[in-house]
Amino acid sequence: MKPINLAEIKPRPGTQAFFRWRQIGDDAILITNLEGNWLILTVEEFTQFARGESTPDSPLHERLLDKNFLRSNYDVQAASERVKARKYFVHGGPLLHVMVVTLRCNETCVYCHASRANMDEVDTDMSIETARKAVDLALSSTNGFITIEFQGGEPLVNFPVVKEIIEYATERNKEIQKRLEFTMVSNFALLTEEKLQYLLANKVQLCTSIDGPEELHNAQRKLPVSHNAFQAAAGWIKRVNEAYIEIGLDPTLYHVEALLTTTKATLGKWKEVVDTYVGLGCKTIFLRPVDPFGFAERARLRLEYPRGEYLEFYRKSVDYMIELNKQGVEILERYAAIFLTKMLRGEDPNFLDNRNPAGAGIGQLAYSYDGKVYSCDEGRMLAATQDQTFCLGDVDTPYRKIVGHETIRAMVIATNLDQQPDCVNCAYNPYCGTNAAYNYKAQGSVFGRMRDNNVCAVHKGIQDYLFEKLAENDPEVMAIFERWTTIRPREHFVQDPGQTPALEAAEAEV
Amino acid sequence: MSSENQISFTDIPDAIASASGTDRSVSMTVDSELYPLQAVYGASYIFIDRCYVFIDRPAPGSYRITLSAKQSVEEAEALRQLVGEFANELLSCTWRHQVTQDNRVAIETVTVQAIAGAMGEPSLDDLADFDFTDEALDDPLGIAQSWEEKHGRPSPDAKAKTASEPGADEAKADAEEASA
Repeated sequence: MKPINLAEIKPRPGTQAFFRWRQIGDDAILITNLEGNWLILTVEEFTQFARGESTPDSPLHERLLDKNFLRSNYDVQAASERVKARKYFVHGGPLLHVMVVTLRCNETCVYCHASRANMDEVDTDMSIETARKAVDLALSSTNGFITIEFQGGEPLVNFPVVKEIIEYATERNKEIQKRLEFTMVSNFALLTEEKLQYLLANKVQLCTSIDGPEELHNAQRKLPVSHNAFQAAAGWIKRVNEAYIEIGLDPTLYHVEALLTTTKATLGKWKEVVDTYVGLGCKTIFLRPVDPFGFAERARLRLEYPRGEYLEFYRKSVDYMIELNKQGVEILERYAAIFLTKMLRGEDPNFLDNRNPAGAGIGQLAYSYDGKVYSCDEGRMLAATQDQTFCLGDVDTPYRKIVGHETIRAMVIATNLDQQPDCVNCAYNPYCGTNAAYNYKAQGSVFGRMRDNNVCAVHKGIQDYLFEKLAENDPEVMAIFERWTTIRPREHFVQDPGQTPALEAAEAEV
Repeated sequence: MSSENQISFTDIPDAIASASGTDRSVSMTVDSELYPLQAVYGASYIFIDRCYVFIDRPAPGSYRITLSAKQSVEEAEALRQLVGEFANELLSCTWRHQVTQDNRVAIETVTVQAIAGAMGEPSLDDLADFDFTDEALDDPLGIAQSWEEKHGRPSPDAKAKTASEPGADEAKADAEEASA
């Protein structure tokens, strides 16, 4: 890309309202404003705009006017409404409650961010008493939506506590009447038909991890005895999807989704990764880079890669996914969907690690097996490597002390992009976010330095790619992006506040 | 720092950074007009897991920051990396300091909304624990006192009243003489 020459353009204040800009092609300059409206201009148009010389009644003037880029006609009311809509989550309170019911895990992953424990380390199981207190704390949240996410280790290892949390939370919610959901992130290897029926009866959304094709998955995720973690997961993905159909759910909406952790070995296998996911019936791939937490830090030489290489992988993968969509295959990339929802719809899908400010403490809390409470999942991952920076107290600490903790205040400030060098001037400011725990781990402070920050590089690179696609304005691609940003609520997974937990019935049948 | 073990960095001016292989430390001198003290503190702090950090003022108008590595760092490249990382962090902290001042209202508003939204209304139990005493208003240095109270001078009201009374001019003259 040939950079534009600002010395030749000679920008000066004129008719423009506040804007930020970024060159995304030889003849394509993106401009965005405070409320997240955007336009892609040619160099000639940008020159006029930057010089404050847009002529009334010209097509450019109309476009600028329409998107609120002109000072003389700046619609303050419209801008504030859009900012308000984008930031609706700010005062919401924690909705995601990650419950680490055990650190024990039956699989050993080379990058395990959670620092799993061996199967005989039963002291890393959450107790029933701690579980109940964690539920009480979660239901104290000011947010009317509560999602309890079971994590580990492998949550199925401590299934009695999973059941206790479901039953106790459902029972308590009869009185509290929140919109309650349960999700479980599991490798599925310990799933049984009995457990599945229980989870289905209690509307627990299931999610697993797939690292790509079988060989790669099994190389990164070691499962003793069968030595085939991939088949264990794939078999249950198929079975769960069948079970959803059996109970009358629409398979296009209700199916198992999986999470990918991109390591150095994944980068060359972009096509195989996408094909594997499509083959398993997944409709979403989340191309997440490896994070520097847990075992991933120790094994970084084997796992890590320059983020430029990741972005090449990302572009090839999503290009291929777009081609598949053109052929009628329904598959979307989650990062793209998050960013596109903000860009195209002016809404925030509330992905907690990619919002401004981020969700640590004010959007999520993580409850460790030992009762300690952390600002976020990454906070408890750091604690597993003896760093308690993000510990807010324990399940006996009053709720208001947890969320009013000074660490949360620091994290809210640190992830506010209006205080972040680089971000204050970045054209992607309205759509972006930073992660304080990641910054702390990777760069030593919750603020981080965006210019050499891997999360920033990934976010910028993905948004570059997406705006390049938007600049091309291919109607087929635009229609695909439109679909990717259509939020289809999965009401089945919302617990009916009046219902009795289905566990007794399920248990009786078994 | 022993001079025979002094390490030079070819790409960093000697006046800014010097290093000692023996002491496995680097010292940087920065202009206090370019970098506010808060930024120096902020940048220094993130090195305390790797280094012992010393800050002093060798001369008016400058700060000197010495990073002494906790673990063996004798290669010039490793010391240069410390200098470079510190310089970048210092610039980042300095700019953040400026940006935070510029956007203070927006940052505070969002933070207050986020924390207040997550905390919600205090319960009766919370209020029962609340400290309603006026301890926070204790003022041992007399900062909240008026100038007149603090120095035993008559208040402007009292002065006006006194001025209207007979003999006020003499009293004023006596007071001025005493203060002279």
